[in-house]
Amino acid sequence: MILFKKVFLSLLLLSCYSVNAEVVIIVHPSNSSSFDQSEISKLFLGKAKSFSDGNQAVPLNQDESSAARKEFDSNVLSKSGSQLKAYWSKLIFTGKGSPPKEVGNDADVIDLVSKNPSMIGYVGAASLTDSVKSVGKF
Amino acid sequence: MMKKLYWLLTVNCILFTGASYGEINFSGFTSINAGKVLSGSGVPQYDIPPTFLADYPIVSAYSEDISFKPESLFGLQINADLAEGLSMTGQIVARGANDFDATIEWAYISYEINEHWTIQAGKKRLPLFYYSDFYDVGYAYVWMRPPADNYTWQIFNYNGVNALYSGEIGDWSVMGNLYYGEEDDKENKLLSEFFFKEPTREIWRDMLGGVLQLNKDWFEVRLTHMTYKNERYRKGEQVLFDGETSRTGKFYGVAVNLDFDNLFILTELNRLDLNGNLDTSMITLGYRFDTITPYVTYSQFEEDAEDGEQHDTTSVGVRWDFHSSAAFKVQFDKVNDESFDLAVAGDSESITFGIDLVF
Repeated sequence: MILFKKVFLSLLLLSCYSVNAEVVIIVHPSNSSSFDQSEISKLFLGKAKSFSDGNQAVPLNQDESSAARKEFDSNVLSKSGSQLKAYWSKLIFTGKGSPPKEVGNDADVIDLVSKNPSMIGYVGAASLTDSVKSVGKF
Repeated sequence: MMKKLYWLLTVNCILFTGASYGEINFSGFTSINAGKVLSGSGVPQYDIPPTFLADYPIVSAYSEDISFKPESLFGLQINADLAEGLSMTGQIVARGANDFDATIEWAYISYEINEHWTIQAGKKRLPLFYYSDFYDVGYAYVWMRPPADNYTWQIFNYNGVNALYSGEIGDWSVMGNLYYGEEDDKENKLLSEFFFKEPTREIWRDMLGGVLQLNKDWFEVRLTHMTYKNERYRKGEQVLFDGETSRTGKFYGVAVNLDFDNLFILTELNRLDLNGNLDTSMITLGYRFDTITPYVTYSQFEEDAEDGEQHDTTSVGVRWDFHSSAAFKVQFDKVNDESFDLAVAGDSESITFGIDLVF
């Protein structure tokens, strides 16, 4: 019975976690490129600079303090905030790259992505609207 | 020095006020480190007391008294984005080892030709070893410093041009550079202050090098080769190498890094052929427990000669990411110095610790 309780509780916690934690990757509705986790990672790590259709890609990050940023870093990039900061420090201070621009919250990301076909961003699943196209949920 | 700073600031003011399209970014890095030798032999035949030489090129030397100066530094990077792919970058670094005199260590312009190629010209860090060009940014790596036995070369900047490539081949990320330049160091710190104890001018001419770095998931390999011509003057007198006024150096390096989710292995294997082989290597094993990362490292330097320079270091340490922009580190190093004539700083056991941050 105790075991059952434990399992049930952890399942409950897990399901809550995944509902709250999901981020949706969004692009402009006109963007017809294909996306998978590896391609999205490369765009946000500065390793690739264009979409699969060849057009220029401009990734948008969220502020370090935002919940979506934490989920994105761990679910999509599979790295901690510190690891990513160390990664970017290396590139910034050797003149090899600069990190994606940061914006404040889900609404700002949706607003910018809906107006610019080059942009790609991520938002909490609950914030998604029709003005942008979802290309993946993590 | 002040003149250079003034010049840089003036340029920035012009960019700030004059150009509506110039975007200026400031970023920086700081390390506040301290340490002391717990026990050491020193080098009696050269009157060197117990010493831990933590960084050869800038002579970061710890003694038996605790000191905060040898490896502490403050760096400020200014990047002016002039739009249409053109940018200018300057890096000012003040080092404890140089009494915190601020100098401009980097100053280059950068032009992005397309999404793969960028051309840079000016003064940059020489990318000999894997960690050479971000050696000063402690936050970017796990240890207190990249293993001292490997990072021993006296020249660490060059003036010249660099072509930078970044792209993809299938699932592999590819980065590379090709560079050409020279450095004429009028009073080289390592040679003048530590090895020869007299003013030594060190010149590396016609440096021509290439770097190729491939990365896929958890695997990364970096290959490099560089050649240069070395000339040297001690107390104004030209040094002859086997009767010649210059000698050719050829550098080869391979670094392989394996980075799994929490476990990582970092390796480097290098050879400098300078009228004889000087081999360096290192291996690090580390594991990330959330914000705490313990690691162990072994590194060595070996000259292929009778009683050649030969030393190795075993290190254990911990990095703690206690803040989103700062890390605390503590490291224990045990150095064995094997040579008599070419002894560097003798055997030693030392403790160093400090905080690295970026902004």
